[in-house]
Amino acid sequence: MRRSILSQPSVIIVLLLLTAFTVAVVGMSEAAGGTLSTSLVKTLGMTLCLCLVAIAMDLVWGYCGILSLGHFAFFGLGGYMVGMWIMYARTEQIVVQAAQAATLPPTPQEIRDAIGTQIFGVVGGARIPPIWTFADSLWIQLLLVVLVPGILALVFGWLAFRSRVTGVYLSILTQAMTLALSLYLFQNDSGLRGNNGLSGLQNIPGWESTPQSVVSIYFFVASAIALGAGYVLAAWIVSGKFGSVVRGIRDDEARVRFLGYQVEHYKLFVFTLTAVIAGIAGALYYPQAGIINPAEIAPIASIYLAVWVAIGGRGRLYGAIIGAAFVSLLSTWFTGGRAPDINLGFATIQWVDWWQVLLGVAFVCVTLFAPKGIGGLVDYVVRKP
Amino acid sequence: MRRVNTVVEGLAPSTFRRAALAVLAMLLVAVATIEGALAQPAPTPIEELLLENTELIQESSRRTIEPAIAAIADSGLEGADVVLQRWEARDLFVRESDGRFFLAERGDDRDTYNLFHVVTKEPMGTAGRREVDQIKPNSGIRALIAAALVKFQLTNPDPAVRRGALEALLREPSAEQLDPLRAALGRENDPFLKGAMERAERLLTVRFEEDEAKRVEAIESFAGDLSVEARATLNPLLNTTLKVSKEGPDEDENVARVLTPGSENLSFDAAYDLLVRRDLAPRIINAAARDAALVEHIENGMVAGVPVASLDTREARDAAYSRLEEQGAVTQTQTEDEIADLIASFTFYEVYSEPEAITGAVLGTIAAINRSVAGYGFLDIALDALSLASIYFLAAIGLAITFGVMGVINMAHGEFIMMGAYTGYVVQQFIPNYTASLVVALPLAFLVTFAAGVLLERLVIRWLYHRPLETLLATFGVSIALQQLAKNIFGTQARPLTAPDWLGGALVINDVVAISYIRIAIFVLAIIFLVLLLFILNHTRLGLEVRSVRQNPRMASSMGINPDRINMLTFGLGSGIAGIAGVAIGLFAKVTSDLGSGYIVQSFMTVVVGGVGNIWGTLAGATLIGFLQKGIEWFNPSNTLAAQTYMIIFIIIFIQFRPKGIFALKGRAAEA
Repeated sequence: MRRSILSQPSVIIVLLLLTAFTVAVVGMSEAAGGTLSTSLVKTLGMTLCLCLVAIAMDLVWGYCGILSLGHFAFFGLGGYMVGMWIMYARTEQIVVQAAQAATLPPTPQEIRDAIGTQIFGVVGGARIPPIWTFADSLWIQLLLVVLVPGILALVFGWLAFRSRVTGVYLSILTQAMTLALSLYLFQNDSGLRGNNGLSGLQNIPGWESTPQSVVSIYFFVASAIALGAGYVLAAWIVSGKFGSVVRGIRDDEARVRFLGYQVEHYKLFVFTLTAVIAGIAGALYYPQAGIINPAEIAPIASIYLAVWVAIGGRGRLYGAIIGAAFVSLLSTWFTGGRAPDINLGFATIQWVDWWQVLLGVAFVCVTLFAPKGIGGLVDYVVRKP
Repeated sequence: MRRVNTVVEGLAPSTFRRAALAVLAMLLVAVATIEGALAQPAPTPIEELLLENTELIQESSRRTIEPAIAAIADSGLEGADVVLQRWEARDLFVRESDGRFFLAERGDDRDTYNLFHVVTKEPMGTAGRREVDQIKPNSGIRALIAAALVKFQLTNPDPAVRRGALEALLREPSAEQLDPLRAALGRENDPFLKGAMERAERLLTVRFEEDEAKRVEAIESFAGDLSVEARATLNPLLNTTLKVSKEGPDEDENVARVLTPGSENLSFDAAYDLLVRRDLAPRIINAAARDAALVEHIENGMVAGVPVASLDTREARDAAYSRLEEQGAVTQTQTEDEIADLIASFTFYEVYSEPEAITGAVLGTIAAINRSVAGYGFLDIALDALSLASIYFLAAIGLAITFGVMGVINMAHGEFIMMGAYTGYVVQQFIPNYTASLVVALPLAFLVTFAAGVLLERLVIRWLYHRPLETLLATFGVSIALQQLAKNIFGTQARPLTAPDWLGGALVINDVVAISYIRIAIFVLAIIFLVLLLFILNHTRLGLEVRSVRQNPRMASSMGINPDRINMLTFGLGSGIAGIAGVAIGLFAKVTSDLGSGYIVQSFMTVVVGGVGNIWGTLAGATLIGFLQKGIEWFNPSNTLAAQTYMIIFIIIFIQFRPKGIFALKGRAAEA
């Protein structure tokens, strides 16, 4: 018997906290006359997106036992898809505006040529590559945010699960996929501007007159809604019989297979669904970040994703949120140079230099001594029925 | 004479006394000269020749000097080469009174020169300091003299001189050198030099011989010659000129190819441009010019009755332009069809400047050269791939032990490679001799990383033997901590790890194939490790225990083996090898804190592709990956990023079909 999702205490608490947090941030933002700076609102909004992709990671790793080191690639792909539209539409506006000064009205070819030069001049191109065919249509690009990561995950997952690549082999394979993707995007002729990536993504076409402080609020709220929806969806998936089978696969794949379940189908579903969630999170993240380049997709990013989930606590969805929010915000604080240096007399510890070391050591300690992560603390407070 | 004039011009009224003294001195000198001349013998033939050319030689201008040099060089007179050499060495002096040349040496007092014969150095009397002029050829003239001297030097008894002359000749070949070279070739005894001369003779024959048959023979003799010189000599013979005519090529023209306008080699625009340049077609008015004409004719927002706002397509603009044409407001332009018809009525073709017999031979020879270049290029790629494979093997072999034999994923493996490289760097700070420091660094890197590996195993990995995924994450934590530590200690800029000189060069096999000694050294190192590890694992007590713990730890421990100790040693061994690989990699790569992370994914793939738990598998994996990457680069040499991308995709697909790698363990060993 499936209990209603909304009767689960953890879901209710998370949703309530998220709502309260959203209302508080919106109320205190600059746009509403508060003191929270626009950049901080953006950082918080981006953190919500990271929480969403962490939930996807928790679903695929914490519940299904697939340690994917490639989910940040799906995240990046989502960002690229929405970034293409933003960049194309924005450049088109600028080009059309500039053409108004000319005596003759521009021909469509002239506009396309100007956009091509504007966007791809930096990588020595002038033609708009074929993968930008739909870049002028917001709806198609939004569809691609879901389709491109989804189809890549479907094909990759089908190949991998079909031949029963499991455990560390799968992890290495997903890492190889991420590396291949980022190396491919680093090429200038990849059609996505090589290592320059896509930039100026904070300027949303159609919202020119809206100040960034308001745009940041829109994206913050959108991210919060996406996170809430993602959380409910994930909680729904793992709560029913489906969730039990998935957890069974995590704990003993062979046994579940012998019970007659099509293990590959379950894994493929979870893998693809989480890739789609990651893509959506990325599509919300990068307009707030303003720039995306292939370095974002480097294998290390996906490993960090696993680190967040592990520190937050695997196999519990709120753990993923805690881990992602805690570690990424702390990272921003320490590496942003805002943390005070510690003077030891003989040497000064600068956090910009030592934060990574601390993170690495902390991560080893969590893995060794607290496999349940920060989320495990909840177990001390709440006695399980 | 010139000098006297200078003196007179320099005269100023206020220095009358000094001028008077000067005139007196000149008179004295003139008397002395006449005395000297009287005492001299008649000029020898070579001196006669010099006398004939005295004005040119004295003028010393690069533009006019050539006949003089040629006259001396071609005279066939005894001592002509000596004269040229002395001229080049600025030893010649000319006597102003009669233009005769001498060698001169400063005499007992500083106002007189002792004169000697230009060839024999016989004393020829004396002259005053003002009476003789040193001939100072400038560098241009000296180069001309040197070229002329080549023919004498080619027969010089000193082989070093002959070799130098041959090299000079090849730097600036000319038709005149062909005959002296052939003459010298007949007299040469040194077999090495004879070979070089013979080759130079063929190179010159290809370019300057008049007899066509001889040229063809010389051209064909270069088939299979890989040198740049051969290609540089042959290729210009295939120069073509682009011609266009209505009738097509003449009978006697050696047509390279007929070009179709609109093809890759000749675009329509280029074809039409050519016609315009030959005055065969009117100048075309391009789109931009037409648009400008439209803008000029805007009146009240209309162009020829068409509203400006509607001119937002090419067709609309062209229609408006035709209207302007009809009104006679703008010059007539060609329509696309007219242009196409005009171009179609002409034949475009390229003509060789050389006759057909020559170009045919050159084409055949170049094809043969290209075949052997491609063959050696393939060999070169194969050697490259082999060295890349040995690098991957070195980087992955330590991982093959920890991952393959123990089943432990060590993400910090790359950082052990980095630690090895930094160990090498630190050792070089204390031991300046590169060879000695390398000898110290290799075992030291092993010790350092062995200790680090044992420490990691004791502190972290031991607790996670049954949770491989968590080992992966924990060692990743170690990896980022170590990377940042290295950054804090050594800074972000690359540190040099310099190879000793004897590893510096390259083994050059021919113009296409060359292998640097570092790569050979890494290959040798890889082989040593392969043999060493095979020996340790298969023929020592430690290897036996490692294998037994790998297969069944509990059974092994009941046989009196301590699995803890064995795991610790195995992990240390794998890490230590990573350290040595780090020193080797540091020799050719930049030593930075992220040196290792560049190899970690490739290393894992090497192990996985090869088959876990098998040294031979790692070898096979490294070979496959190395050759694959270079093979892909061969098809697309400009793009190593793409090569890596495709290689990884290939590996992902490969693992679909052989999930356990090339050498899969079978039976009980696979279960462990």
